[in-house]
Amino acid sequence: MIRYIARRLLYVVFVFFIVSILMFGIYKMVPGDPARMMLDTSIANTDPEQYNKLYQEARERLGLDKPIVVQYVSWIGNMLRGDFGYSSQYRMPVIDMVKTPMKNTILLNLASLVLVFGITIPLGIVTAVKQYSVFDTVVQVGTVVGYSLPAFIISLVCIFFFAVKFPIFPISGVNTAGFTGTGWAKVLDTAKHMALPLLVMTLSSLGGITRYVRAAMIDVLRMEYIRTARAKGLREKVVIYSHAFRNALIPVVTIVTGWFVGVFGGSVVIESIFMWNGIGNVLFTALKQQDFAVVLAMQMFYVVLTLAGNLIMDLGYCLVDPRVKLE
Amino acid sequence: MRICAERHKLLWWQNSPRRQRSRMEMTMRKKRNTGFFRNLFRGLFFGQNTMDPPVIEEEPVRSPMRMILIQYRDNKVAMTGLVVFVLIFLACFILPILYPLDPSYQDVTQQNLPPGFSQQKVPRALRQNAKQIDAGAAFSIGIDQNGTVYLWGILDDKLKAVPEDLKPVSQVSAGLSHVLALQEDGTLRTWGNNRFSLDQVPESVQGRSDIKQIEAGYQISMVVTEGGELFVWGNENLISIETGKVQGNVEKIVSNTTTALALTKDRQVVSLSAKESTFDAVPQEIQGRAVDLAATDKSAAVLTEDGRITVWGSQDFGVQEIPQKVQGATVAIEAGRSHFTVLLKDGRVVSWGRNNFHQTDVPAEAETAASIHAGYYQNYVIREDGSVASWGLKGYLMGTDDFGRDVFTRLVSGGRLTMTIGAIAVIISTLIGVLIGGFSGYYGGKIDNILMRFAEIVGAIPFLPLAMILSSIVGNNVSELRRISLIMVILGVLSWPGLARLVRAQILAEREKEFVTAAKAMGIRELSIIFRHILPNVVTVIIVNTTLNFASCLLTESSLSFLGFGVVEPNPTWGNMLTGSQASTVIVNFWWRWVFPALALSLATISINLIGDGLRDAIDPKSNER
Repeated sequence: MIRYIARRLLYVVFVFFIVSILMFGIYKMVPGDPARMMLDTSIANTDPEQYNKLYQEARERLGLDKPIVVQYVSWIGNMLRGDFGYSSQYRMPVIDMVKTPMKNTILLNLASLVLVFGITIPLGIVTAVKQYSVFDTVVQVGTVVGYSLPAFIISLVCIFFFAVKFPIFPISGVNTAGFTGTGWAKVLDTAKHMALPLLVMTLSSLGGITRYVRAAMIDVLRMEYIRTARAKGLREKVVIYSHAFRNALIPVVTIVTGWFVGVFGGSVVIESIFMWNGIGNVLFTALKQQDFAVVLAMQMFYVVLTLAGNLIMDLGYCLVDPRVKLE
Repeated sequence: MRICAERHKLLWWQNSPRRQRSRMEMTMRKKRNTGFFRNLFRGLFFGQNTMDPPVIEEEPVRSPMRMILIQYRDNKVAMTGLVVFVLIFLACFILPILYPLDPSYQDVTQQNLPPGFSQQKVPRALRQNAKQIDAGAAFSIGIDQNGTVYLWGILDDKLKAVPEDLKPVSQVSAGLSHVLALQEDGTLRTWGNNRFSLDQVPESVQGRSDIKQIEAGYQISMVVTEGGELFVWGNENLISIETGKVQGNVEKIVSNTTTALALTKDRQVVSLSAKESTFDAVPQEIQGRAVDLAATDKSAAVLTEDGRITVWGSQDFGVQEIPQKVQGATVAIEAGRSHFTVLLKDGRVVSWGRNNFHQTDVPAEAETAASIHAGYYQNYVIREDGSVASWGLKGYLMGTDDFGRDVFTRLVSGGRLTMTIGAIAVIISTLIGVLIGGFSGYYGGKIDNILMRFAEIVGAIPFLPLAMILSSIVGNNVSELRRISLIMVILGVLSWPGLARLVRAQILAEREKEFVTAAKAMGIRELSIIFRHILPNVVTVIIVNTTLNFASCLLTESSLSFLGFGVVEPNPTWGNMLTGSQASTVIVNFWWRWVFPALALSLATISINLIGDGLRDAIDPKSNER
């Protein structure tokens, strides 16, 4: 087990470095010279010599005069030490800039996580137990529709119904503009703003996960030990909730853990539509504003999330299911 | 009957009961099952309608592919998906040929018009009794012999608000979004758009009863009196005209979206544009002989005493190619935004110029015309008996967007682009996935290890952010075509790891089988063993995966384009047609701008996913237990 984890971690580190080199390469391809952008171009016309001197100084300060390998090493060193660069758009270090968005994203995603699994687990179980029933059929068609629709279409429909036809919820922001209340009032205000993005996020994940839970449950229901339990004369409720459900939870728990890592990630589409000031929206605006230091930092953050998610999912699987042997 | 109902219930979602029941039951069921589509499908693909084998006889051996087809055919949901997808596919690849898209086309006068073909629905009461008609941007106004006013087409509330105390009217004129009406007592009324005080008659005109001609133009109103005086009010920033040089001498005034031209009492034509314009170059030979005048957006035409037409200005859309038969025979001329319509002595009507909305396709019933009335993209003819004929733009099937472009044309062309991008991306990703998965699975060991680490690296790159970064870095300074190809490649190159892993696992299972050993023993090349002997055994899995991948590629491309990092304006895709639709004004007031693209995209992805699911069920009998 420990050897397996060690080996997986080694792979993760390896993949991380390869991807970081790729990302750094892409970052270097960005048109425009950051040193030149720092300087006042008007000097170039009046005093070219002075401008050249300033330019060389700027290059030196940014480390652009060194070979690209050295630049990479110093960049990745800074990254690992927690220095993610400086946002040109907000004029502050990236790490300080993403604090509030991170909080908002976690808030939104945690709420969605609870909702999604609170709905899909019972739904998956019921449809699996009543396989081929009308209810099951309807849910199955619903799930196909659900995972076929892109998030932005679900958003449009939700905005249409819940913000326009019946103006219940606001459609953008985290709080009302100029909101100063504290405590309970603030919580309520945020909850109101969160309703629509939360609804969209939940709806767009329902389809896939319901199918997943249903498939897991059906697999379990076909096991010999379920037949045995029934043969013993146990009541159907006991068979399903005590014998089958617990085993069906194994694959479900693994994706919950995988999702848990995704909580930090945020959704570019949903957050940008609802102007929810989260991680996804930060990436979106940074790209729009060509703020590439933020983009690069976010990109590396996403890579780490994906790798960690995969690792945790695999480990979680063998933690909850003793039958799984890791090679 | 009851069995039948139960069967339908079972067959609705999936087709497994067929395999679970005894053969006898199956045969019985088959005999009853002779639906229309079933026969049609069978007739199309399997020749004649074969009889089912009797109960005792052995079922004939069928090839796996044929088995899959039969299984698939029985799955009604999947078949519905297939039919829907084929329809969408045909629509997206045939309709753009019939309705070609001009990406650079824009038209401010046609912005945000709702779907419908009401623009030439002349009210019944006016149809046999018309006196005069004038066409506005998306609506028309007409008066009958009694002086009653009728409005039709796309009318907003302000246009519908016809003054209640309106007296009988002798002359009407329709502009972009407002109306002028001259009452029989000689006083002027106006309503519609209330910006730039277009809804009020200025004081200098209010008292007058000697108005001869009225002209409602592009956010501007003009009036000519018997004495040749010209009054102008409205948005004079947009149309800046100088009235000084002709004041007191005006016979007729015509306007377009940029300027106005006047015909003077001494039969001269004067361009009133305050700025330099193409209209200034009035041909000298017609001065003093002009009797009628008309102006499109970029050209003007004058009719001289001898019935001849002279056109000057821009040559776009063939407006200067005057048909020979009109020369010397014309009695009246009218113009739309980019076409001319003339009335000949013998009552025939001829149109030429731009034909994008069939505004120059004069119908047969327009012969024997007494008067012609054209404006924007519409033409009306009133015959001797007061009956009306019309041609030109009738409306838009799915409305127009904020640039005045037809949503329907963009939808089908956008669909073609979306599908092409999705298909090519999927082909790229399938090729890479199969190659890497094949080598990895067959060779194993070091090669497997390296290739799978590579797949892991690609898989670890978060998809949407990277695609956004790449397209924003590389995409801004390349041509549109290269940008689109770039998006295809990015989509394809980043989405193969899943398939590679699947193919690898399948090949791992297959390579230990005897036929591979036999092939090796016969000395067949390894490449050939992998791709000609093993691969056909896993091809079904690849097909299913490719189908489902296609749907997700459509979704990813749309999301990218929606966010503005994929295909950008003016090229349409289903994704970028929805950009900006989340604004509540668009959602409520201009529903046609988002409902149709959203519906098309949803239908396409849902039907593809249904096909993929159906194929998987048909190929792998075990999977549809899930």
